[in-house]
Amino acid sequence: MCKIGIPRGMFFYDYYPFWKEFFEGLGIETVVSPKTNKEVLNAGIFSCVDEACLPVKIFHGHVEKLRDNVDYIFIPRIMSIERMEYCCPKVLGLPDMVKYSVKNVPQIIDTRINLRKSNIGYKKSVYETGKYLEKDLWEIRSSYTKAKKSYERYIYLLNKGVVPIEAIKMYNKAFKDINYSSSSHELTIMILGHPYVVYDEYLNMNLISKLMKNNVKIITPEMISKEEINKYSSKLPKRMFWTHGKRIVGSAFSLIEKRKIDGIIYLSSFGCGMDSILIDLVERKAISNGMPFTLLTLDEQTGEAGINTRIEAFIDMMKWRNKDENNISAFR
Amino acid sequence: MADFYMGVDVGSVSTNIVILDEEDNIVWKKYLRTQGKPIDILKEGLHDIRKELGDINISGVGTTGSGRQLAGLILGSDVVKNEITCHAVSALDFMPNIKTIIEIGGQDSKIIIIRDGIVVDFAMNTVCAAGTGSFLDRQAFRLGVPIEQFGKTALRSDNPVRIAGRCAVFAESDMIHKQQLGHNQEDIIWGLCQALVRNYLNNVGKGKEILGPIAFQGGVAANEGIKRAFEETLKQEVFIPENFDVMGAVGVSLLAKAEAKRKKSTSFKGLNISDINYKVKGIECNDCANLCEIIEIQEDQNILARYGDKCGKWTNAIKDKTKLA
Repeated sequence: MCKIGIPRGMFFYDYYPFWKEFFEGLGIETVVSPKTNKEVLNAGIFSCVDEACLPVKIFHGHVEKLRDNVDYIFIPRIMSIERMEYCCPKVLGLPDMVKYSVKNVPQIIDTRINLRKSNIGYKKSVYETGKYLEKDLWEIRSSYTKAKKSYERYIYLLNKGVVPIEAIKMYNKAFKDINYSSSSHELTIMILGHPYVVYDEYLNMNLISKLMKNNVKIITPEMISKEEINKYSSKLPKRMFWTHGKRIVGSAFSLIEKRKIDGIIYLSSFGCGMDSILIDLVERKAISNGMPFTLLTLDEQTGEAGINTRIEAFIDMMKWRNKDENNISAFR
Repeated sequence: MADFYMGVDVGSVSTNIVILDEEDNIVWKKYLRTQGKPIDILKEGLHDIRKELGDINISGVGTTGSGRQLAGLILGSDVVKNEITCHAVSALDFMPNIKTIIEIGGQDSKIIIIRDGIVVDFAMNTVCAAGTGSFLDRQAFRLGVPIEQFGKTALRSDNPVRIAGRCAVFAESDMIHKQQLGHNQEDIIWGLCQALVRNYLNNVGKGKEILGPIAFQGGVAANEGIKRAFEETLKQEVFIPENFDVMGAVGVSLLAKAEAKRKKSTSFKGLNISDINYKVKGIECNDCANLCEIIEIQEDQNILARYGDKCGKWTNAIKDKTKLA
C-alpha cells in the first residue's frame, strides 16, 4: 500500500480535512508531518531559497520531514479557489519550489486547482488526482462524496466558533453538542493573518493559547462565513482579487462594523507582500472606528519577550478602556 | 519607620532602579548598564541602596522591562508589568493632561496614545532595531564621539546631510559614504538624528494622531539632537520629564505601591539578597524535536525557577527537585 505525505504548512488548514478523507477513501494511507518545531524550521531554512517568507521555508521543512517515509508528497498547485481571484504567487509555484530545493524529494502530486473561470474545476482536479493514482471512477466518486461531507463538517465547526487548530482535532468525532462559545470571556480578540501564520503555533509562539489562558475569546477569519466576507469586502472601492486577502479584509470589516470584538491582533510574517496592503486597509478601518489594533511581525525570532510584552500591553489597554467606558454614565 | 517603594526596570541596555517615598518623591535613582548580566547588575544596585540609604524599609516592589520576569523572581516583586503600562502610568503622573508619549529605549521604541488619562492606542517598532538607543550607541562609538556628547554635536550643525533611515544597515553604509565624501561630522550626526525621527514617525508613529502635550522619555531623550528633530518635524514643543531615563521604573513603583497597599503586605525578599549567590544554568533539552532552551536559576543551593520549555516538563519537575542534566 502506498503512502501520501501531507505537509503541515501553508494552506494545510484550508484543505486537509477534504484531502485526507479523499485519499483514505481510496485506500491510501496519509501521513501528516509533525507540528512545526525547531528541526522543521532549521531544515526548511537550510533547503529553501533565502528570500522566501518564513511560512514557505517552514513548508520546505515539513517536506523534508516527510521525505523519507512516504511514496508521494501532496502539494496542490492552488492557483485560484474563487472565480476571478488568485492566490499568492508563492503558493502558485510551491510544488516547483519544493521540487528544485528539496533534495531527493519523492514524487509530488501537484493537483492543479484553478477555479478562476468556473467552480466545476475543483471536482475535475479531484478526479484527475484519483486517476493519477490509478483508481477506478467508482471509487473516486464515492471518496469524493465522503470527503466533501467531511469538509462541510469542518466548515460547520469553524462557523460555530471553533478555532481551526481545535477543529482539526475534533472534526472526526461526534460533533453534535459543541457549546464552544458559551463560556464567558472578558475580552474577544480577532486574530488576523494568513492561515499558515495564525495556526502555526511554533511560528507565532503559541499566541492563541496564550490569549486563551488570559480568558480571551478568539475569532479568526476562517471562522467567518463566506457570505459575510463577500458582503463586507465588497465595500472596498476596488475589488480584492486575492482570496485570502478578501477573507482577511472582509472578516475584519464585518466584525469592526458590528463591534463584536474588543481588538485586533494582526500577525504578519516579515516581508509578506500581500500583508503590506492588507495591514493598512484593516488598520485604517480600525482606527476610524476607534478599535484597538496591533501588528506583530514574525520571523525567525524565538525569544518570546518581545511578543509577550506586546500582548500583555494590548490586553491591559483593552481592559483599561473597557473599565473606563463602564464608568461613564449612560445618561450623560 | 518610613515606608519606601522600589521600581526596577531591567531593559536590554540599562537597568534602572528608583526608590519612592510615601509621597511619590524620588528619593534615590540609579541608571546602570545591563551589559548582558541582569542578575549581577541587579545585585549591584541593591548593594548600592544599602550602602547609600542604609537598611530602609521597602514595602512594595515592582519590576518591568524585558527582564521583568527574571527580576521579579529574584526580588519577589509585588507587580510584574509590561513597559507600556508603566510608561503611561508615570507620564500621567508627570503631566496629567498628556496626550502622546514617545519612548525610545535601547532595543525598542514605542508610541503611546493617551486620551482623557487612559491608553487608547500604542505601537512598538516591529522587527528592526534601527532608530533605537543601541543603534545610536554603536554609531557614536564608530564615530568616536562619546554618546553623552552626541546630541550637543548634532546641534552645532547648520547643514544637515540626508541619511537613509529606513534600515540600520542602510543608515550605516549611507553614513560611511557621506563621511568618505568629506561631510562634517556634526552634519552627519544631525542628519542621523533627523533620519531616526523620520523613521520613528513613519514606522512606529504611522497612522497615529500625535497631539500635544507630548512627552519624550527613555534613554534616548537625553539626546538633544533627537529632541530638536522631533520638535522641528512635529512643529510643537516636546516635554522631557526630569526623570526621563527611569520613567518605566517610576511607573512600576507607583503600581507596586498601589498593589502593596491593596494586599497590605509585600512579597519582597529583602535588600540582603545582594549577598546571595545566584547561578544561571542553561541546557538544550534533546528529548523531542523542539530542542527547547531551558534556563534554570539557582539561589544558593535551591532552584528558584526554571523556564523555557514548551511542554512544561522541566518547569514542573522543580517540585520534585530534579536537577538539570
